[in-house]
Amino acid sequence: MELINLSDIYKIYNVGGEEVRALDGVDLTINNNEYLAIMGPSGSGKSTMMNMIGCLDTPTSGIYHFEGEEVHIMDDAQLASIRNRKIGFVFQTFNLLPKATALHNVEIPLVYANIRKEKRIDMASKALKDVGLGDRMHHKPNELSGGQRQRVAIARALVNNPSIILADEPTGNLDSKSGHEIMEILDNLHSKGNTIILVTHEDDIAKRAKRTIRLFDGKIIEDEISK
Amino acid sequence: MGSLFFENLKISLSAVFANKTRSILTALGIVIGVLSVTLMGTLISGLDRSFESSMSWLGKDILYVSRYEWFSDMEWWEVRNRPRMRTEYVDKIKEKSKYALAVSPVMQRGASLSYEDKETITEIFGTNEEYMETISTDIERGRFFTASEDKVGARVTIIGGGIKDAFFGDEDAIGKYIKIDNLKFRVIGVLEKQGKFLGLFSVDKQAVLPLGAYKRIFSKRGWMRLSVKVPENKIDEGLDEISGVMRQIRGLRPSEKSDFAINQTKAFESQYNRLKIAIGGTGFFITLLSLVVGGIGIMNIMFVTVKERTREIGVRKAIGATNGMILSQFLMEAVTICFFAGLLGLSLAYVSSIFINKIFPSTLPLGLSIFSILISMVVGIVSGFIPAYKASKLDPIDSLRYE
Repeated sequence: MELINLSDIYKIYNVGGEEVRALDGVDLTINNNEYLAIMGPSGSGKSTMMNMIGCLDTPTSGIYHFEGEEVHIMDDAQLASIRNRKIGFVFQTFNLLPKATALHNVEIPLVYANIRKEKRIDMASKALKDVGLGDRMHHKPNELSGGQRQRVAIARALVNNPSIILADEPTGNLDSKSGHEIMEILDNLHSKGNTIILVTHEDDIAKRAKRTIRLFDGKIIEDEISK
Repeated sequence: MGSLFFENLKISLSAVFANKTRSILTALGIVIGVLSVTLMGTLISGLDRSFESSMSWLGKDILYVSRYEWFSDMEWWEVRNRPRMRTEYVDKIKEKSKYALAVSPVMQRGASLSYEDKETITEIFGTNEEYMETISTDIERGRFFTASEDKVGARVTIIGGGIKDAFFGDEDAIGKYIKIDNLKFRVIGVLEKQGKFLGLFSVDKQAVLPLGAYKRIFSKRGWMRLSVKVPENKIDEGLDEISGVMRQIRGLRPSEKSDFAINQTKAFESQYNRLKIAIGGTGFFITLLSLVVGGIGIMNIMFVTVKERTREIGVRKAIGATNGMILSQFLMEAVTICFFAGLLGLSLAYVSSIFINKIFPSTLPLGLSIFSILISMVVGIVSGFIPAYKASKLDPIDSLRYE
C-alpha cells in the first residue's frame, strides 16, 4: 500500500541573493512497511528531504501525499496534527525534555493528541516496556545512559502508533554497542510491520535497510532495493 | 483541551520553581503593585468605616447654623464681623419654621472637671433640653435635664461615658457631685460611649449642662451654634426654609448676602471624598507604575525563557504541538509567575494590614484581594503575549538545530 508519494518536489532557498536548490525535482514513493535509508554527503539535501517527509517543512513546489492527505497545501496547524498522528521522530541528539521523567517525555505527544491522563499513562508505559525500559520510567534523561535515552526517544516516537518512524542519524551520538541495540530495536519494529525511514551517512547502518536512496545536489541519484 | 491545560500548568510550575531567584526578582514589580493596591484599599476601607461611624454621630438630618462655614476659605475678618447667634433665635425659628423638629443652641468651652482627687480638662457644652434630639448618642443611665431646670439654671450635668469611667469606674455616678471649674454640679445622666470621632478626638469626654447655668457661670457672650433637626427626607427643603427664617430674623434685604452659615454633614462628606480621591489617586498611580514596570520585567524574562528553550519548542512542535499550544504554554507560564507574585503581594498586604489595624481600624477588602490577583494575571497575559507569540511562530527546523 502506498504511504508516501512525493512528486516533482522542489525546495528552493534564497541565500544572499543566490538560489539554492535543496531539493531539485524529487520523485519518491514509499510503501507501507518499507525499511528505507536516505544517504548522501552533507549538503546533498538529506536533511531537507527528511524535514519534507516529516512534514516539518513544505515544498516550494510539487505534490506531497501522505496516506492520501495533501501535505503540500497544509497550514501550520494541519502539519502539526499530521506530525502528531502519523510521524514518530527519532533524533541524533535524542531531544528529550531534560526536566521530565522518561514516562512524561513519552506522554507528551499524547497530550497534544488530547488523550486523557489514565490512557496516556497506560500507552506511555507500554511503549517504554516495549523498548525495554519498564524499570526506568521515572528516571530523568540525565539519570539514563545514551542508549537508554535513545530508547526513550523511540518509545516517544512509537507511542501514537504512527504510520512512519523517521530516524535521523539515530546512532550518531552512541557508542557502537548502544548503537547496535538501537538498530536491533528498529529492525524489530520493522519486522512487526512498521515503516522505518533512516537518514544516515554510515554504510553499515544503511545496510540494515531494505532500500537505499542516495541524494546528491538535491536529486535522487540512486534508488536501490537490496535482497 | 483539559489535558493540555494541566500539562501547561505543570510545565509552568516547574519552570517557575526551577528558577526561584529569577522568578522572585521578575515578579517584584507585580508584588509591589498588588501590595500598594491592596494596602490602599485597606486604608480606604478603614477610613470609610471610621467616617461612617463618625458621621452617624453627627447625624445627617442636623443643620448647624453658625457664623462660619466649615471648610470655607472665607477671610477670618469677614467671619468675625458677622453677628453672633443668639438664644432668642431658638424660639423664633421654632415659631416660623415648619421643618424644624428640634432646635438647640450650643455653647462650648474648655473647662476643668474634677471628682475627689481626679481631674481632667475637657469640653463642656451649654445647651437646652432638646439637645439629645440633635445628637445620635443616647443616655445610658439617668436622665437629661428638663426645660425648667434649664430656665432656672440648675447646676446639673450629664457626663460622657469616658468621664464616668475615669471618675467613677464601676460605681454609680448618678446623684454624685463633680466640680466644673471648681463649682459643684450634680450628675443626673451618663451618655453612651461613642469612640473617637474620625479616630482623632473623643466625644466621650464631655459634660453637658443647661445653657442657663452655663451662661450665668461661664460666659454670656461667646461662640454659639444652633443645631436644627429637620425631617430626614426633607433636608434640602429644611435648609432653604431655615435660611429664609434666619434672613428674616436678621432683617436682611434680598440684595444682601447672608451673614450666617448653615452647615451639614455633607460638607464633611465632600471633604472626606476629596481625601479619599487623593489617597486612591496616589495608590492608583503607584500601582499602575509598578504594574507597568513589573509587566516589562515579565516580558523581558519571558523573552529570555523562550530563547533558552528554543530547542524544546522545536521538539514539541516536531511531536505535534501546534502554534496555539506553544502560545498557550508560554502565556500560562507568564500568568503563573504573575499569579504567584500577586499571591505574595497579597500575603504581604495581609500581614501589613494586621499591623495597620492595631493603629487604625481597617480590614483588607475581599473583593479587592480577588481583583488584585486578577489584575496581576491580566498583566501576565498582556506582557507574556509577545514572547509567547514569538515562541509559537518559531520555525521547528531552525529550533531543532538551535544550540
